[in-house]
Amino acid sequence: MDNVLTVKGLKKSYGNQVALAGIDFEVRPGEVFALIGPNGAGKTTTLRIIATLLTSSEGEITFLGHDLRKEPDFVREKISYLPEEAGAYKNMKGMDYLHFMANFYARDAEEEKEFVDRAVAITELGDRLKTKVGTYSKGMTRKILLARALMTKPVLAILDEPTSGLDVLNALEIREIVRRYVKEGTSVLLSSHNMLEIEFLSDRVAMIDKGRILDSGTPQALKDKHGAKNLEEVFRSSLR
Amino acid sequence: MKRFLNLLKKEIKELVTIQLVISLAFTILLFQFIGRISKKEVQKALGVQTISALDLDNSPASQGLLKGLESARFKIQRIEGKTREQAIDIARGGESKLLLVIPGGFSETLRDLKPSEIETYSYMRSFSLIGARGQVVVRGVISALNDVLSDNFLKDRLPGLDPASLKNPIKSKDFVIVQDRMAEGSASQIAGLISSQSLLIPVILMMIIIYSSQMVISAVAMEKQNKTLETLLTVPIRRTSIITAKMFAAGIVGLLSAGIYMFGFQSFIGGIGEKAVQAGAQGGAATVMRQLGLTFSTGGYLILGAALFLSILVALALAMILGVLAEDFRSAQNMIMPLMFMVMIPYFISLFADINTVSLPVKIFILAIPFSHPFLVSQNLYLGNFGMIFGGLAYMLIVFVVLVVFAARVFSTDRILTMKLRFGKKKSSVA
Repeated sequence: MDNVLTVKGLKKSYGNQVALAGIDFEVRPGEVFALIGPNGAGKTTTLRIIATLLTSSEGEITFLGHDLRKEPDFVREKISYLPEEAGAYKNMKGMDYLHFMANFYARDAEEEKEFVDRAVAITELGDRLKTKVGTYSKGMTRKILLARALMTKPVLAILDEPTSGLDVLNALEIREIVRRYVKEGTSVLLSSHNMLEIEFLSDRVAMIDKGRILDSGTPQALKDKHGAKNLEEVFRSSLR
Repeated sequence: MKRFLNLLKKEIKELVTIQLVISLAFTILLFQFIGRISKKEVQKALGVQTISALDLDNSPASQGLLKGLESARFKIQRIEGKTREQAIDIARGGESKLLLVIPGGFSETLRDLKPSEIETYSYMRSFSLIGARGQVVVRGVISALNDVLSDNFLKDRLPGLDPASLKNPIKSKDFVIVQDRMAEGSASQIAGLISSQSLLIPVILMMIIIYSSQMVISAVAMEKQNKTLETLLTVPIRRTSIITAKMFAAGIVGLLSAGIYMFGFQSFIGGIGEKAVQAGAQGGAATVMRQLGLTFSTGGYLILGAALFLSILVALALAMILGVLAEDFRSAQNMIMPLMFMVMIPYFISLFADINTVSLPVKIFILAIPFSHPFLVSQNLYLGNFGMIFGGLAYMLIVFVVLVVFAARVFSTDRILTMKLRFGKKKSSVA
């Protein structure tokens, strides 16, 4: 089956500062592909470029066979992006926010309702969706944002540090939701510096540092290759 | 279109907050309240006022003076059989704002054509201008009496001659010429009327620009501060639609807010009665202006409207770019300042200088500011300078298009996320 996303020789610089020094990877249909690495490694820049927020300096990105640079509008129809520090409109009620976002993707009222119903089920927030987003806890906000990202069943969901700043229970719930949606056909490209989380969630991972991919493969294959017990040890070994 | 309307609806909902509605309602109520109080005070001042009077002369001449005041809508409270000091104390305890003391021998000095003195004591219980009106009217009555007395004297001594001609042997007959039209009238009166009419344009323009620009700058800055901008930029809607929706929403809400404020302001001014005063004082000048062709036709109003509309569009496009530069809501508040200066500079220059007579560099500077043109349009319409008018409109349109194209480019590139201006640091940086 063709890849959902193919990235070749991706480079990005801000003036003299090199953020990405040429990276290659691909995301296959129905898999969770994770970029893992320390802060400032280039994970967020990569995700932002694929989410059409930033433009690459060099390289080629193909999404479902379409050139991302030439057809950003096509890409935006099929993907959803959850930034690391995303927020929702604080003066909107949770339900209104979901309707507002669903309206951009739905072809008609029926489809909009389908999207919103799905999001309501993901959030499990019940009557709290009738209150303003500004009154939500961090965990509740993150859930509604994740629901927004998954409600349209996008071809590719791009999740930047999806459980960042959340407590253990909320993080666990978010991981379970992501895994459930992958089973329903959505591919996921995510980033995290929490390597234990990635090991639980991902089908394949790429170790990234200083704008370069150090190694990539399934968590088990990487552990075997580096003779490591977990991905943290794999990362340390890759750096050497 | 569905997506654009979805975003427009959201933008308007974000702007029309309960705080805005309360603030607007409060302002209208406040203006109405102040207007009513002012109206009462003006009515009180214009109505019958009480003056205390101590007539130590008690002659036909002094009685005539007091009757003259009564006919000028003053209620005279006569204080009888008291000394000056006693009368001052009595009046202090009463409601009179003025005590008039006519000294003994008043009529004799008048008869001998020697200067007669009357004394006025004003009780300043407030420092409002309206409160001091009593003394002004008394002076007017005294001046009228002076005229009557001197006229009577001249008639006695020089019968057959008009006293007015004797007192003012030279009279001027004033004419005003505007292009090929001429009418009898005073140039200063015409200039005063035109400038008072033109004064409303900058006030309206400034109100709308302040409101709309602040809203559009805040709309972009709040998206950044609340971390919603990145998500919005990845949904399937064109970047130009995001810009247009924000500008439209800010324009609509800004126009409405400015309109409501102007309505409140008008209620306040109406309460003071300036309209009635203006109509009375300027009725003659208005006729002269009609004779000189200094009135707007429907086409003139349309041109003026187009100039105001274009300047609002320019302000909104500029505000959109400034909003991108702002990091958060607080820095967005600072961003409005350069825009405000750009509106105020032409206003103040137009108050003190004539654009046609200033030096070339200053003229170029003024004309380069897009917001100068709505100020100049009304004067140029009166003078028939259509080249300047349409040149100004074309210039504003070009500036608007350039700014929108630039804003769209900023929104379509990395700059929307990476461009920012920091205040309070040594250097402004575009990172």
